[in-house]
Amino acid sequence: MSDSTIQHHEESRDVTFRVHRFNPQVDSKPYFDDYTIKLEKGITVLRALGYIKEHVDSTLTFRAFCQAGICGSCAMRINNMSKLACTTQVWDELDKAREPGVIKIEPLRNLPHIKDLVVEMDPVVGKMKKYSNWVDSRMPEEEWGKKEFLVSEEEFQAYDKATDCILCASCVSECTILRAHKEYVSPVVLLRSFRMNADSRDGIHDQRLAGLVQDHGVWDCTHCYRCQETCVKNIPIMDAIHGIREDAIERRGTKDTSGARHAEAFMDDIEKKGRLVEATLPIRTNGIGWTLKNLLPMAFKMILKRRTPPPPPLVKASKGIQSLRKELKEMASHVAKDHEKKSGE
Amino acid sequence: MKRYAYYQSCINEAMTKEVDRSIDLWQHDLGIELVKLHESACCGGSNLDYVSPKQFALVNARNIALAEKLGLDLIVSCNTCLMTIRTAKKKLDESAALRAEVNEILREEGLEYRGTSDVRHLLWVLIDDVGLDVIRKKVKTPLSKLRIAPFYGCHILRPSTVLGKDDPLEPTSLDLLLDALGAKSIPYEHKNRCCGFHTLLVAEEESLNVAAEALKEAMDEKADFIVTPCPLCHTVLDGYQSKALKKNGVKGSIPVYHLSEVVGLALGYSDRQLGIKRHIVTA
Repeated sequence: MSDSTIQHHEESRDVTFRVHRFNPQVDSKPYFDDYTIKLEKGITVLRALGYIKEHVDSTLTFRAFCQAGICGSCAMRINNMSKLACTTQVWDELDKAREPGVIKIEPLRNLPHIKDLVVEMDPVVGKMKKYSNWVDSRMPEEEWGKKEFLVSEEEFQAYDKATDCILCASCVSECTILRAHKEYVSPVVLLRSFRMNADSRDGIHDQRLAGLVQDHGVWDCTHCYRCQETCVKNIPIMDAIHGIREDAIERRGTKDTSGARHAEAFMDDIEKKGRLVEATLPIRTNGIGWTLKNLLPMAFKMILKRRTPPPPPLVKASKGIQSLRKELKEMASHVAKDHEKKSGE
Repeated sequence: MKRYAYYQSCINEAMTKEVDRSIDLWQHDLGIELVKLHESACCGGSNLDYVSPKQFALVNARNIALAEKLGLDLIVSCNTCLMTIRTAKKKLDESAALRAEVNEILREEGLEYRGTSDVRHLLWVLIDDVGLDVIRKKVKTPLSKLRIAPFYGCHILRPSTVLGKDDPLEPTSLDLLLDALGAKSIPYEHKNRCCGFHTLLVAEEESLNVAAEALKEAMDEKADFIVTPCPLCHTVLDGYQSKALKKNGVKGSIPVYHLSEVVGLALGYSDRQLGIKRHIVTA
């Protein structure tokens, strides 16, 4: 026996999988089953679940297909984080286990539960339809099949990473706002929308963008970056979300939303005072009516505790405001030149 | 006395004045001196980067350059300011063209962004520079009877490509500090989750649901209070607490402390000195 085989042999141990179980036809509520099996280092969570199904409990239900991190079917929560079972090493998870030797396996969150580790993907598909997550060709139908659409390498680079998405829904499962409101567009749909809107072959950019800036759309993202951190393909999803916002602010017609007004208030305040004027931020975002209705009771409490931000005339400008204003003005002329150059291309 | 440049966050100048007040009380006790940068500007609060990417780079290159002029690292006590300024730093460090463009404009003010000053959270300075052993020795009033729910807030953890100090989903730094202060930090799921601050004015219902869930879990776990290194998280979890809990039909309340106040308490300062009485929810 060679040294490496001995090492391999020594690196085997009993591992307990604490698996979320629920069969709506039989069970009144979900519960956990513990399966303890002897495993060797190098095995994935999916292989371990397959072993349990084959040798221990054939009723255990989960989805899987390619076993190679391509199809996205086997996304589940492993030790409290959504990931692919087929690309997750059991030994890596043992290091993270809160209870020694126990790996917790649960279904994805934020999606309707069907059975054990299987969730319903229809809500994601429905939102992809709602926000037209496909290239809607701007080529007239009679030219289809006769002409080529050429995409430049530079253009492709802008959404290259976004095309890596395999629709596993890990980001959907970890999304903070989706957990707070099920109507929310969701990270994967924002990512795909960004990718379609950046595609020069697409003809419905404005229509798609107009939908994205409505309620439960792009402005409802709370910048928690959980989607990006959980993405099994390391796609910078927040760059796509910011990209849609930048696009929305640049274009007329989509500017007049509370999200855009809120974001632009930061730029205005920096230009005027070098710092944020918090007292009027709610009014500038949502108007006086909303502010009185939603924030007045709280304002009283804050006044009593002397926590209210000062009114605009009392906000002292940053000491370097004169230089800062000059610098911002100069950069604004650079930005204007960039735009001219871009629209001239 | 180790010196640092201190970035004054807008919110700490207006709504959460107790943060800077408590840091001022104990900074010398721990052998650090924070030099306030009165000429700095608002970082853009994780919004300016998509309103105008170039102005975002300019404003924050200038903020960092002010610290570099003094030859000091830039220390921040608001998570979102930290994430925002570090994001700008990463963009500047990765692009010579952007650096050149920004520096051409900053030159007139006698400033230059060189990338020599690091941008760090006060929590990181306490752990990495002051050191947990030193802190442990300086504790006068150990917080030993308290069960504390640490609430890290997103922007001290994520994106990990920009922050990188803690595991973005299994953080430990705040727990380690609380341990050094003699307190027991409780494990609970929301410690790495979001407070909902950044959508308060745009999607209030969602934000209040997010906050209520975090508050409820800390209360269910019988925590004495929540502690956070971010004044924005504090504003939601304290200021909006009654609204969030009422909307979600949760009874009770839980105090929320700033990191700087908990350090102050352990070093022997009183609630009144630290400004804890200014909170909306008081014990």
